[in-house]
Amino acid sequence: MPFVDQILRYKSLSVVGLGKNTGKTECLRYIIRRLYELNKVPAVTSIGIDGEGVDRVTATPKPEILLEKGMYFTTVGSFYLQKRFTAEICHVEEIPTIFGKMLTARALERGTMVIAGPSDTFSLQRWIADTPQRFPVDICLVDGAVSRLSPASPAVTQSMVLATGAAYSANLKTLVAGTKFVYDTIQLPAAPEEIRMQLEHTTKGIRFLGEDGSMEDPGIDSALTPEQIKKVVETGREHIYIPGVVSNALLKALLERKDTNKICLYIRDFSRIFAEPQTFYAFLRKGGRFFQLLKANLLAVCVNPVSPEGYRLRSKELVASMQDALGIPVYDIKESGI
Amino acid sequence: MTFSRFADKIDGLHYLAEKMELSGSRVRRYLMKTPFCTKAEVLESHFDILQKAFDILETPGTGPVVMQLKHLFTTVHDISGTLEDLKQHRVLDEIALFEIKYFASLCRDFRLLCEKLDFTSQAPDCLQPVFDLLDPDSTGTAGFYIYDSYSKSLAYARKKAAATDPDKDLALWGRATDRVLQEELLVRKELSAKLSRMYDVLQSNFDRLAYLELWFAKAELAGKYGMVRPVIVPATGTGTEVFSVDGMVNPVIADILAADGMTFQPVSLMLQQGPCLLTGANMSGKTVVLKTLALVQALTQFSFFIPARKAVIPLVKDVFLVIGDKQDHYRGLSSYAAEMLELDKIMGIVKEGADVLVLADEPARTTNPAEGAAILCALIAFLQQYNVRSLVSTHYGELDVSVRKLRVAGFEGGKATGRLDPASVSKYMNYSLIEDKDDAVPKEALLIAQLLGVDASFIQMAQNFLKKNGNERIQTGA
Repeated sequence: MPFVDQILRYKSLSVVGLGKNTGKTECLRYIIRRLYELNKVPAVTSIGIDGEGVDRVTATPKPEILLEKGMYFTTVGSFYLQKRFTAEICHVEEIPTIFGKMLTARALERGTMVIAGPSDTFSLQRWIADTPQRFPVDICLVDGAVSRLSPASPAVTQSMVLATGAAYSANLKTLVAGTKFVYDTIQLPAAPEEIRMQLEHTTKGIRFLGEDGSMEDPGIDSALTPEQIKKVVETGREHIYIPGVVSNALLKALLERKDTNKICLYIRDFSRIFAEPQTFYAFLRKGGRFFQLLKANLLAVCVNPVSPEGYRLRSKELVASMQDALGIPVYDIKESGI
Repeated sequence: MTFSRFADKIDGLHYLAEKMELSGSRVRRYLMKTPFCTKAEVLESHFDILQKAFDILETPGTGPVVMQLKHLFTTVHDISGTLEDLKQHRVLDEIALFEIKYFASLCRDFRLLCEKLDFTSQAPDCLQPVFDLLDPDSTGTAGFYIYDSYSKSLAYARKKAAATDPDKDLALWGRATDRVLQEELLVRKELSAKLSRMYDVLQSNFDRLAYLELWFAKAELAGKYGMVRPVIVPATGTGTEVFSVDGMVNPVIADILAADGMTFQPVSLMLQQGPCLLTGANMSGKTVVLKTLALVQALTQFSFFIPARKAVIPLVKDVFLVIGDKQDHYRGLSSYAAEMLELDKIMGIVKEGADVLVLADEPARTTNPAEGAAILCALIAFLQQYNVRSLVSTHYGELDVSVRKLRVAGFEGGKATGRLDPASVSKYMNYSLIEDKDDAVPKEALLIAQLLGVDASFIQMAQNFLKKNGNERIQTGA
């Protein structure tokens, strides 16, 4: 039984997919099934409707999650009322969303349901903190959505599983390289505790950090536009906190500085890096460093060798080359059988 | 007339509402909807409740229970939508049924705490029948689902559905679960019908929880601002009631002063029926007296304690505060025009015989002094004719009316030396009110301008103009 014993060492876990149909749902289903067999009670939610919940273009809801008897789940009222199994409502949030009030229920039998939970990092953090206090649950599971498109960070959980597969790329090399890039961003070191405490509540505006632990607000909202990037780069400051997106253009501009090797970028978490892999690696090669305020322990990578278009990669080969490239356990959930 | 309407016309009500610790917009809405009460017996019963809440907060040892109560207030959900559904006999969904059950269990907790605090008169009613209806298995927990025990056919339908597998036979599973939904709907219809019959007690409890919170918030506010229970006098129509307030404080200004380490000098006054003039130097706080009086009268009739040492407040039908700063550019009205129209409206209401309190700040000050004084005299004569309790501030002196006068004791300039910044003028101001027999008004405008550091030659020029007009009584430090 791969990696489920490891999961239980943590209080929370998110499953993050590299793209659609990369097997995230299967992976989550696998984890839920195994936890059920171990007689453990999970609570599950998903990074909300603003993330991947409903495809804005096709208006198709995301796949339903299979819920085992006895487990808790948090979703919005309108999805809850469509259920076709018995569940007991245990808690309803006061503030309504456009899809009705958010509620937590306990499955009284096995069933499936579209799950859409908290849609921002703060609410998700609160869910992870409050749920085990309210209900007798062993672990909180977060269906992490396609991480980069979501305003809520999956990195708020203590541990993480990454799902990747042929749907992302049918070319083995591209798939491995793409996964390795995300893997490398996830594995970026965590910021020192005192800096994390200092910056945790600053979610807007660039900050410069001094050697002496001082924090300076240069009055720049973000590092997105060419003017903003210019301002950030030209100050010559070395320790920079970027609460929002780290763009390709920003990294390129920092690469042009002579002191790239002294630059430390403090970022919220890996999902805020929106840079080309080559720029990202060039920055690291020149000695630039990243520190994440939120860092989850990546426990495993799950691969789905089948793409919806019918491409099929050889499972053993895929697992082997992925494991070679990443150096952590890689599983083909389907192959190992649910 | 609601609190919300009054708060828009009387300074300080919004401020105090903001200072009240309320759990959310649900309770704030109840506060805003509070009616302006003109019935003495209702107000007396409200003040009894408020006094009781106030005493509970002051009693040593109640702290932990009060904390629990305050926490419980934050857990009340706004179920007004669900209550409306019950009133309209609509069928509730599972989430709404859960909310009702949760509400019933909260009411039980509130009753327990009210008992501990000996405040049972304001506690919500017992909702045990509601809770029992939604807890057929007697689990005692707040969780809810459509229990099997509600209906044998539901239990049977569920059993059948559980035996099907959507992965093996989707159509069969679909039919089986459809059946479950139908049975659940029947149960929900029945539950909703039963709950609809209990709508009154549910709605009244929902209201009561908001009022309960408001009583404690008002009591806490009273503690914070040293407010007291006013003695109220019902309107008898005889015109013999006397308004009197001792040591009145304006909480808004007191807070601003406190931030600068200063204190508000309490003001005392008495008002009989009929008009009274209020005179005083510039910056002597005439406007503050008027605004605070309006606030005190309004607070009383919205069942609040009032910021004073003690007070006797005759009840009125309405309070009018005419500050004369209501120019309305959008309607093309100057401040003068707006003020005249407002006075006209008030006079209309007075003529209809309503017992009101009128507080006017320097009416007709924005027009020429000759006509302005005439308008003021006419207003006083009108207020006298209709015996309207009113306080009217003015700078106009030697008016051709015989009326009671109060004067702000005013500037004690002897203590002042050198240049003063506007804030420190208040240090030399005696804000207490004294009966004034003199027809003249205090003329300290130039003195104050001088102390504020206004250009000396300019002041000298003004002095010369005064002398030219034969007025030698003006005192300045020069």
